[in-house]
Amino acid sequence: CKKSYLETTPSGQTLEANYYSTPDEIFTGVVAAYDPLVTETGGLNNTYSGPLGPLNAASDDCVAGGGGPTDMNTWQAWNNYSLTPAVGPQGEYWGRNYRGVSRCNTILSKMAPATFLNENDKKRYTAEVKFLRAYYYFWLVRLFKNIPMILQPLPPQDVYNQPQAAPEAVYKQIEDDLNAAIPDLPVTVAASENGRVTKGAGIALLGKVYLYEKKWTEAAAQLAQVNGSTPGGTTGTYGYKLQSNFGQIFSPDNKFNSESIFELNFTGSQSYSWNNWNQFKSNVYVQMVGPRGYNGPIYWGGWGFSPVTTGLATAMKPDPRYGYTVANIDSLTKATGTRYEPSYQNTGYFIQKYAPLQKYKAPTGTAELNFPNNYIEIRLADTYLMEAEALLQGGGSSARALALLSAVRERVGLAPVAATLQNVYNERRLELATEGHRWFDLVRTGQAPTVLASKGFKAGTHEILPIPLQDMQNTQLKQNPGY
Amino acid sequence: QNATVRGKVVDQNSQPLPGVSVTVKGTQTGTLTDVGGNYTLSAAPNATLIFSYIGYDTQEISVSSRSELNVTLTEGVRSLNEVVVVGYGTQKKSVVTGAIAHVSGRDLENQQVTRFDQALQGRTSGVVVVAGSGAPNAAPIIRVRGITSINNSNPLYVIDGIISQNGGLENLNPNDIESIEVLKDASAAIYGSRSSNGVVLVTTKKGKSGAPQLSYNGYFGTQKATKQFDVVNATQYATLRNQAVTNDGGTAPFANPAQFGEGTNWQDIVLGESAAIQNHNLSIQGGTELNKYYLSFGYLNQQGIVFSDISNFKKYNFTANTSFQPKKWLNIGQTFGYTYTRNQSNFSTNNEFGGPLSSSLNLDPITPILAAQEDLNSSPYTDKPVVRDAQGRPYAISKYVGQEMSNPLAYLETQRGNYGWSHNLLGNVFVEIQPIRGLKIKSQINGKQAFWGSQSYTPLYYLTTQNNNTTNRSAFRGSNRNLTWNWENTISYNRQVGLHDFTGLIGTSAQGQNEVGLNATFNNIPVDDYRKLSFNYALPNENRIGGAYDNQPYHLTSLFGRLNYSYDEKYLFTGIIRRDGSSKFGSNYVYGTFPSAQVGWVASRENFFPKNSFVDFLKLRASYGEVGNELSLDFFQYTSVVGGGRNAVFGPGGLVIGNAPLGPENRNLRWEATKTADIGIDAVLFKNVNLTIDVYRKLTSGMLQSFRLPGYAGFDGDFFDNIGDLENKGVEVELGYNGNSGDFKYNLSGNIAYNKNEVTFLGSRPFIDGGSFQASSYPLFRTQTGQPVASFYGFQELGTFKSQAEIDAYTRNGTKIQPNAKPGDFKWADNNGNGVIDEGDRTFLGNQLPKWTYGVNLRANYKDFDFLLFGQGAWGNKLFQGYRRLDIATANYSSAALDAWTPQNSDSNYPRLSDLDPNNNFKNPSNFYLQSGAYFRIKTLQFGYTLPASILNKIDVKRARIFVSSNNLVTITKYDGFDPEIAGSVDRGIYPQARTFMVGLDFTL
Repeated sequence: CKKSYLETTPSGQTLEANYYSTPDEIFTGVVAAYDPLVTETGGLNNTYSGPLGPLNAASDDCVAGGGGPTDMNTWQAWNNYSLTPAVGPQGEYWGRNYRGVSRCNTILSKMAPATFLNENDKKRYTAEVKFLRAYYYFWLVRLFKNIPMILQPLPPQDVYNQPQAAPEAVYKQIEDDLNAAIPDLPVTVAASENGRVTKGAGIALLGKVYLYEKKWTEAAAQLAQVNGSTPGGTTGTYGYKLQSNFGQIFSPDNKFNSESIFELNFTGSQSYSWNNWNQFKSNVYVQMVGPRGYNGPIYWGGWGFSPVTTGLATAMKPDPRYGYTVANIDSLTKATGTRYEPSYQNTGYFIQKYAPLQKYKAPTGTAELNFPNNYIEIRLADTYLMEAEALLQGGGSSARALALLSAVRERVGLAPVAATLQNVYNERRLELATEGHRWFDLVRTGQAPTVLASKGFKAGTHEILPIPLQDMQNTQLKQNPGY
Repeated sequence: QNATVRGKVVDQNSQPLPGVSVTVKGTQTGTLTDVGGNYTLSAAPNATLIFSYIGYDTQEISVSSRSELNVTLTEGVRSLNEVVVVGYGTQKKSVVTGAIAHVSGRDLENQQVTRFDQALQGRTSGVVVVAGSGAPNAAPIIRVRGITSINNSNPLYVIDGIISQNGGLENLNPNDIESIEVLKDASAAIYGSRSSNGVVLVTTKKGKSGAPQLSYNGYFGTQKATKQFDVVNATQYATLRNQAVTNDGGTAPFANPAQFGEGTNWQDIVLGESAAIQNHNLSIQGGTELNKYYLSFGYLNQQGIVFSDISNFKKYNFTANTSFQPKKWLNIGQTFGYTYTRNQSNFSTNNEFGGPLSSSLNLDPITPILAAQEDLNSSPYTDKPVVRDAQGRPYAISKYVGQEMSNPLAYLETQRGNYGWSHNLLGNVFVEIQPIRGLKIKSQINGKQAFWGSQSYTPLYYLTTQNNNTTNRSAFRGSNRNLTWNWENTISYNRQVGLHDFTGLIGTSAQGQNEVGLNATFNNIPVDDYRKLSFNYALPNENRIGGAYDNQPYHLTSLFGRLNYSYDEKYLFTGIIRRDGSSKFGSNYVYGTFPSAQVGWVASRENFFPKNSFVDFLKLRASYGEVGNELSLDFFQYTSVVGGGRNAVFGPGGLVIGNAPLGPENRNLRWEATKTADIGIDAVLFKNVNLTIDVYRKLTSGMLQSFRLPGYAGFDGDFFDNIGDLENKGVEVELGYNGNSGDFKYNLSGNIAYNKNEVTFLGSRPFIDGGSFQASSYPLFRTQTGQPVASFYGFQELGTFKSQAEIDAYTRNGTKIQPNAKPGDFKWADNNGNGVIDEGDRTFLGNQLPKWTYGVNLRANYKDFDFLLFGQGAWGNKLFQGYRRLDIATANYSSAALDAWTPQNSDSNYPRLSDLDPNNNFKNPSNFYLQSGAYFRIKTLQFGYTLPASILNKIDVKRARIFVSSNNLVTITKYDGFDPEIAGSVDRGIYPQARTFMVGLDFTL
């Protein structure tokens, strides 16, 4: 009788042994696999882990900014390539993506034997989770190259003896997961399910993965499926189409528009305060990139991170996309007699695509923690340009490459240019500026050592991040070369 | 021919004395008196009986053919007769076999402490008390014989049998305390699975028989900070800023530093005010032999020395203890204590990321208190809700230092009206029956019902660009309640057979607790003043946000037993066993068993022991046992639990609930166990010198520790496991002396303890890191085999490079170790010899735990005057001082920075100033930040005067005494920060302890 008094059951939680026994419970596990995508506080030790800020700082699009040379020290270290195993944004990416991997592994293992689950749901859930696992591993392998590859829930006794897998094996696994996922993903989802993975997203991601592997033909073949037969037109099966108004692509009023292929869905309606740390499903980066101490119109004062480099601003000035990409707060405040505080490394130029606008400031909760803006991680202009690049690299149709490139330019009223690799690279920089692609593009195309030389980029080391110091402790992991 | 002799032995007050040894001189025949003081033995008519009892003068009486022989023994060495609480019972101090510290209420009655746990500081060896903070009612950290466990080394508190693991007991009125005992060794095993950190047993006053006696004591006092940290003034600040910026290749920001003069001393604003304290206690007690009562009321009102408007504490106590004996065999009683507190100390201290103390250290001295006239016409003063003083003038916002650092006076205004409160009800009822002599059956129910919560109002404010609230006035109200109960049933039986004395105890205990909480936040409240705050305003539903929680269930059941055996008070044995079952463990390890054994030998009772020597009493004792610890173990760590908060957003703003396992399963999670051995001596020398020496060793195995799995395992939090072993060993000495010459009486006592802590095993983990230093990802502490728990760990600076030549000469295998360093940068020790400075060069830099702790106490009386001096200190530890915010390049500097290396000051070992800090002179946690933590502090210095009987008789008062007293009058330390008493040994701007001056009055009617 003593025994039963001492056997307690948790309140508001369930023993794992008793859970995952209904379709609804399985679904919560699928949701949990999505969670790290849209939780910007998932770094090791629950630090802020928004993926765009560090990437922008590392590239030539932006610098780190913020309150001073040590504010968001991890970004500063990538900005000036003083990365060490202890200092840098590695823990932020590592934590976010491995958390995702773990959620995927758990729910896959629970779903496999679940006979009570409707066969169609099971197929779709499995496909979504495999996509997500591929997505998380793609981030990890691109950023760290030498990573442990874990495909099952880790028993406690195996945690410390995980080796690093060969990057080729990781890429193979990513391809396998995506190929397994694509057939069972839905072509479209209802508006109420926006944010869940679609077949187009699966195909586009697979194309992108091939591109990073330099498997040009395979890349072009996949990307062609989402890009459709007529660049600039509507993709037959999936209904993708470039937005006619470039400025509307990132508007919170225009989420999941026809150009969006894979979009991370945030919300501004949860009234978050600082007490909800670790729970934010809002976009905190939006607040971070706003001008500090700003009291002028349109924008909401932020924390001055990711100032746009003069280089990018100058390159974009003649381009129609300039005003939708760069917020010239310097001239705005001068024109309106208002003020802002120059942040560290201030250039006067700020990110516009994810800028905090007063009209999207949440009415409840702590304003800086409730911006609703979505990230679009893969959009049609990107897949156009990726396919064009793959075609040019792999000896595919240069006519189609030209059509793809021209469609991107034509949308903003620019005349066609020749379909050369350099022109595609240039177009990527201008079209996709500050969206998180630039640093990866520079590294995978081998331009990084020259373009980023002034920032301190060292070839042979800085193509990848160091393994986080915390995870070197007591494990089998070997540090990446040069760190 | 022997005849039966019987009789009764009593003390001077005619109270029966049980356990008195009655022996026939020159034979082995003897017996002990029973609980009624009676004895029976057989002796020859001409025999001589020896009546001996420790603490009393031995008497030899000839039988002279009598059959009844009643004896009155007179007390000898009083201290040996003190009764010591040992858990579920008491024992005479002289026969105690464990290492049990005893602090009597008398020792405390002249101490002006506001919490009973503070009263333990410096009182007894091996019990280290470190004030957590100088804030009113801040909890001290208490360690019994070092750090016993890496996860939780807090002792267990038991007040009149009420066991609480989650606080609430600290609100007990210190004036209600009869005694405090600390079970330091294996004698704690009677509390089983929660005893390895020591057990603090508090007994409250129960009333004494006699006419009602009304007593009052109270005092008024004033408190103030004793010390400010030496920071630079405005001119020096501007000069140093110029230096730092130009060192980085920039342009000096301040053309004319001298124009700023002295500037603002922010510490004057935060710490400059005096704060009041008052405390009043009234008690009444009395009764008869068969029923007794004790009632008391207490009131404490203490302002904090940091902004007393938002740092103050009020406490109201009511205590009612009674006992009744309706039949000779039946005893019924209860204790009840009610406490209400109201606390306003909710701003962060010892935190470099905010709060007024940190701001006062980091704000630039150039910024004035009130905004300068020329700034008033521009933003933010024109367009933001800046904070204003009573005359409506805006407080200045620094143009140089921002982030969390804000004008402390402005900050103060944003915190007004915020407070926390608590109601604590603490009590027990018991019934005890004695069906036959020596047998006691007792059942006691103990409970603690606590209600606590807080209320706060957030006005619109604009402190800095990062710290502001410009749109939403909100209010928060939260309340929580916790019921912790335990029910104990014991049977004890005492019996004498000849000179053998046995006491056996067996018992059961069950414990449970239950906690729930509710809170609400109301947004967009239509009031602009905290005094108008109400939750009655009609607000739309989306502005009313509620929260609630339930705690996880926790159950504990126990069986325990103890056997005490004594032969003629000479050979002593105690055996204890306790078996605990806890809901925190899985089926593999639900139960833990904790045995201990203790032996004692009172050598001074041996016949061969030299009589009339200077040794009046000598006892040798030894104990060994195993005690446990599960105090900080979280619930359901043995299994995998699926929990929420893993959500995602699908569709337009819809949050979808996601669940995932919180952590891995660990079915082998088991009790943390500490094997503890103690050898001790208790002695009384020259009638007046009390000496206690203890040597101990504690081995903790299977330490429970929460730790983080490698990030690639993908879990969010920390998990518990049994991770390693730890050893503490040490020596404790306590010495007391009572002396008098004529009207001058004095008592001098002191204690000193040495403790050495070492991690002996960490399993597969080479080390465990902890602690953080601002933005550095290098931890501050490392726990590693062969080192004390959580030793300071970091880089080792070897002074600055004085010249380029020194940098060039600092090589390994012909390569420069710090090729990018500049003169004035730190030379870092290349401890791993790999030719570069990297994380592998970090090393152990010092111990945060003191090696030595000590206390001294001097009481003296001359006629009607009395004097008290009480001091305590620590030695052998390091403190880490990290006041300056490194991510705020413009933060103010310590005066030590005036000596920073420059080409003109090239001998300095203070590194060159630099905001970029490419050599990590400031960013690296290193020995640069460490200082000795040794100190000695006079905690109490007091003079009192007792009115002479001639006056008292006229006014019909039994006793009246007035006193003046000071707390923390003198602190001797080399540490240059606010206060060397820092729980956790890292000073990030700790709330310093006040120096207090008081006048007070005690009287008894």
